[in-house]
Amino acid sequence: MVSPVLIISIGLGTAFALGLLGSTRKTLLFGVTLAALAAMAAISVMWLVALATGATQTAEIHTAGVAPPFAINLRVGIAEAALLATVTLTGFLAALSLRAQLLTLGRGGMAVLLVLVMAISGLVMTRDLFNIFVFIELVAIATAGLVLLSEDTRAVCAGFKFLVVSQIIAILLLVGIIFTYHANGSLNIDDIGATPVAAQGAALAMFLLLIALVIELKPFPANGWALDIYTSAHPGFSAIFSAATGSAALFVVDKVVAPAGAEWLPLLTGIGLLSFVGSNVVALRQDNDRRLLGYSSVGQLGLVLAVIGQRDVLGDAYLYVAGGLVLSHAVAKAGLFWMSAILRGRKLQDWAAIRARAPMVLAFATFIAMLVGLPPFPGFYAKWDLAQALVAAGRLPILGLILLGVLIEAAYLFRWFGFAIKREAPESGLSANMVDCGITFAAVAGGWALGWIWGAIPGQHNVLATLPVLAVVAFIALEPLPAKLKNVLAIAALLGWFALVYGDYDPMRLIFAVVMIPGGAVILLASFSETGRRIGFYPSAMAMYAGLALLLEATTFFEFFAAWEVMTLGSYFLILRGRMSEPHALSYMLFSLGGAFALLAGFALASGGIQPFALDQLGTVTAELAPWVFVLLAIGFMTKTAAMGLHIWLPGAHAEAETDVSPMVSGILLKAGLFGLFVMLMQLGRQSLWGVDLTVVLAWIGAISAFLGAVLSIFQEDAKRLLAYSSISQMGYALFGVALMNHLGWLLAMMFVINHYVYKSMLFLAVGGVYKRTHTKLMYQMGGLITLMPFTFVSVLVGIIAMSGVPPLSGFGGRWIFYNAIMDANLRLPLILIFMAGPIGFLYLFRLIHTIFLGQLKDPHRQLKEAPFWLVLPQMIFAVFLIAFAVLPGMALQKVDGYIGSIFGDQPLVWQGRAITSEFGYWNPVAIMVVIAVVFVAVFLILIAKNHDAQKVKQFNIVFSAERPYRPETTHFAWNFFAPYRKAMGILETPVVTSFWGGVTDGVNGAAEFTRRFYTGNGQTYAAHVLLFVVAVYLIAMGGVA
Amino acid sequence: MTFEWIQVPYALATLFIILNYGLLMTAVVQKLAARVGGRPGIPVWQNYIDLVKNFALRSKISHGVMYYLGPVFRLSGGIGLILFVPTIYGSAWAQNFSFAGDLILALYFIFFGTLGMALGAGESGHPHSAIGVSRGLAQVTAAELPMALAIYAIAIQYQTLSITEIVAAQQGGLFNWTLFTNPIAVAAAMFAYVGTTMRSPFDVVIAPQEIPIGPPTEYHSAYLALMQTNRVIFPIAKTIIYMNIFFGGATNWAEFAIKVFLLYMIPAVIGVVHPRFRVEQSIRFFLKWGLPVGVLAILTV
Repeated sequence: MVSPVLIISIGLGTAFALGLLGSTRKTLLFGVTLAALAAMAAISVMWLVALATGATQTAEIHTAGVAPPFAINLRVGIAEAALLATVTLTGFLAALSLRAQLLTLGRGGMAVLLVLVMAISGLVMTRDLFNIFVFIELVAIATAGLVLLSEDTRAVCAGFKFLVVSQIIAILLLVGIIFTYHANGSLNIDDIGATPVAAQGAALAMFLLLIALVIELKPFPANGWALDIYTSAHPGFSAIFSAATGSAALFVVDKVVAPAGAEWLPLLTGIGLLSFVGSNVVALRQDNDRRLLGYSSVGQLGLVLAVIGQRDVLGDAYLYVAGGLVLSHAVAKAGLFWMSAILRGRKLQDWAAIRARAPMVLAFATFIAMLVGLPPFPGFYAKWDLAQALVAAGRLPILGLILLGVLIEAAYLFRWFGFAIKREAPESGLSANMVDCGITFAAVAGGWALGWIWGAIPGQHNVLATLPVLAVVAFIALEPLPAKLKNVLAIAALLGWFALVYGDYDPMRLIFAVVMIPGGAVILLASFSETGRRIGFYPSAMAMYAGLALLLEATTFFEFFAAWEVMTLGSYFLILRGRMSEPHALSYMLFSLGGAFALLAGFALASGGIQPFALDQLGTVTAELAPWVFVLLAIGFMTKTAAMGLHIWLPGAHAEAETDVSPMVSGILLKAGLFGLFVMLMQLGRQSLWGVDLTVVLAWIGAISAFLGAVLSIFQEDAKRLLAYSSISQMGYALFGVALMNHLGWLLAMMFVINHYVYKSMLFLAVGGVYKRTHTKLMYQMGGLITLMPFTFVSVLVGIIAMSGVPPLSGFGGRWIFYNAIMDANLRLPLILIFMAGPIGFLYLFRLIHTIFLGQLKDPHRQLKEAPFWLVLPQMIFAVFLIAFAVLPGMALQKVDGYIGSIFGDQPLVWQGRAITSEFGYWNPVAIMVVIAVVFVAVFLILIAKNHDAQKVKQFNIVFSAERPYRPETTHFAWNFFAPYRKAMGILETPVVTSFWGGVTDGVNGAAEFTRRFYTGNGQTYAAHVLLFVVAVYLIAMGGVA
Repeated sequence: MTFEWIQVPYALATLFIILNYGLLMTAVVQKLAARVGGRPGIPVWQNYIDLVKNFALRSKISHGVMYYLGPVFRLSGGIGLILFVPTIYGSAWAQNFSFAGDLILALYFIFFGTLGMALGAGESGHPHSAIGVSRGLAQVTAAELPMALAIYAIAIQYQTLSITEIVAAQQGGLFNWTLFTNPIAVAAAMFAYVGTTMRSPFDVVIAPQEIPIGPPTEYHSAYLALMQTNRVIFPIAKTIIYMNIFFGGATNWAEFAIKVFLLYMIPAVIGVVHPRFRVEQSIRFFLKWGLPVGVLAILTV
């Protein structure tokens, strides 16, 4: 093995040697620089591989041939090697990114870059305090030098401010070092650790040391001096500044705090959390991409600082957690800075230019997922382990603040992603070239590789190695294929997976599996109507299905949570594809992440830090914690079922999604929340908190959702929004059924799982087909389409009869089970809402079919054709199923009824032949169907006998208001269809929940707007900030004791 | 109970009786209402004349398939409702096809005809039809609410959803009727009964006195005949349900005739002495008066 000290000597040596080469041969100079950086990177990677595979041991290098403290010693362990690899690779790639500037500047610039990378590497390796000071000074000077490389005129100011504040830090650090030496007699970190500092004077020394190093991390709010660098420096350099310098500075803090003792950890946690939450809040208001990345960097470094502060509870997982976060941050941030070099515009909206290049979108998505900590990237694993450890140690507030920070970070990152996908792309907004793209994709590859490595560590469940997620990766690779071919493959993949797994499932899981997997395949039939390549659709859809498939497979908390996040991510990308869905997709993502964090906390609370924790052991949680676990998990799952209060994302997300996406996210995705609720209630059962039965609370929420969802639905003019609100109502019913906690309640919910999937998918496809033809979703602009789109009409007719619960279709079965279920329940009052929701359902369903298909046909629509075949086909499959299911409900329900019976230990339904009997009543679906059919046919025959020769009249052969109408627009009664209802019940339309969440976001944004005013751009102010920060921290942390 | 072929002629006989009873009774009630207003009113056989005339009309038009099917849905709904509910308690042949389902089936099947007719009327393209439907649906959501609560209350009371069993439980004397064992539930249900019989003050849906409005606007000839047929049997079918679950049912046709007539007279009497509500007024009325009684019913049972 080559000695790692060569990293320093190569860097330094080459920097000096550049001076010996002729200044005019710039290409050669650049080549030598690159070669040197490559060699440094090679050595680092070699050490990393050797240490990771156990081929070698941690290296202790004594410089000057003398043992410390008489000479400086360097150390390279696994953490150092990983950081060195990050630093040197970033340096190498950044040199490529900076190539034009370096070639203009010549050897001076190149030498400075080499010194910078060398100094950062030195910071990582050294074990000597004074040596740290030297390297920090080197980094500061080199940084200032490189900032000046930028063409941005503001860079001069930024560099100067940076130097000013760097010197303040240097003074603090130097004083700290002097004090430490005075107290300890040694500047070697290991010596300090050996003789703990007890005296108060030494505490001040340690404080100065730590605060100087912490300020190096640019903590919020003492960071104005550094943020201008992000804004004005060349992004190639900003990548080093954020990824390499930041990570190394963190490591130095970690090195110093280890010997300083655990009493310093809360200080780091506090500053870290403040920085993480604060800078993410301020980032919300940024519209310059690089400045936003700057705030995000500061935030991420704060997060890791907080993690360093929690090292006492992380134990063995410390390196895994901190490393996962640091590396995710480094790779993603470097990648984003390099990407920003490709973009000409500096506004966030200018990133819309990347939309033209699908790989760029993939890269952007990868980086954002890494930063937010979504699977399959290291940050995700780290976040999970961190949460486990924090909850096990009882540090819930810290976890809460961290998750809050992540949520705010997700808000601006995904908003930015939404801009990139949906905003108008600037003309020639890209200046793409091979090198910049290559660097960016090196970071992408690095991100995915890290994801694999973090998953492959023994004892972990590797998300990337599961078959469904591999299928997603395969679909990313298959993107160049035509959409129709990919659709065949997607359907085959879903059916193939189902064939693989269906034998392992209990009847309940099987029903969910059928709805989610082959059910998804049926909806995908509709996707055959799309042409071209449909870039982005299949990886997103398959990610959602992969998440759902893994959710059903999950046996441990972690597997469940990972599947949940994969599903969320996939469905977010799917929803975002809709033409107008930018804000709705964002709101979906934020609610989903919020819900997921509730799950994370709930799982952590339940497992008490024990990993892996089996899902079916959830019931073993102590009685004291169980209600809290219940609350957290229920909030998480109800976010997905869009229970009232957490529902505001749903109408927009479902209504604005593409034609074949709406049924997926409505018919299928909502069921994931129900599945979670089933899993939870099966294990936890009834729980009480402060004497309140939590299942009763759930039942109330379900009833309120069922009622208000229906009321809001009838006031919608947009057909898809109407259906979306209807989903809230339907899921409310299901939630109510689950919360009844009796056999029939659960059977009711299972019935809703099946029925809601079928009729909502069918109706969304039908309305989607109409939209394809009429190009509007506003119902009052339609009318009279029955003769032009007869198949679509039939499917809507069947759908609304089934959904309204009118016999003979399958919705009635749901109502029958519902009545039998409530006979057993002790819940009376919420029933009022449920009873009322039923008839209100008729209102919106009738409106849907009437205003679209009946009434007056509009002139622009006279030539319309039936919806495309591939949209109609799945609808017809659903219609046939609904009729068959109405006659033979036992085919799906009998087994699951038996299974639920095994859970509750009762069997209230008797399945006898075709009839079903309960303790209270009976239901004979075949007889119902036959009686209705015979009566209907008989009456129909009578009418035909009399009126077979009725004259078919034209549209306006009616008379009203004393004249024969001639304009459909003035004759079609459609807009504000239930005006009297609005007069009576319009008060229920008041957007209370929307106002509440709007207030929350406005509040956060207001805080951001207020806080950013402190960033005046004045160097003196920034210096004052730093000093005030130090004083404030000193007063708070040490209570002013000297 | 299972199906036997003999039930088919039995059911047809029941239907025949109810149809004729309905034709006569509704005419009598109309005549009574007219007398209250000081008018002579129609002859009691007027409904037969109307029905025959409408069936015989030779001029007829169609606005489309759904329009054509609307009356079919409507009448099937009325006939089906009769067939799913036992008419005479203890009678072997007036049980109809009630083995197909219990009270819940009857409750939900009520909407079958309403929905079908609304769809048919919608296709006529006449805005007055749609306005009528909009008003009717809006009103019914509030009007049916006390009924739903009352049904739940008595289902709990009798611990069954079977209509036959509910009637059985009320046998053995006047004071075994639900009316006396659970008066609150009955009061609640009567709000719904009055509210859904399309009589004043809740008849803005069809607004019979002024412009022809409501679903039947465009219907004529045999279509209208079918709807008229339904118009006489549907209220009776509904009244039978009320009679069965609240007023002890009927053990013979005479008892049936009297109870149905008296029950039917309730909305008729209220109708002749009350002016009409607008839709939002009726909704508020039911929420303000009907709903609390219904809530009381489910809380006290």
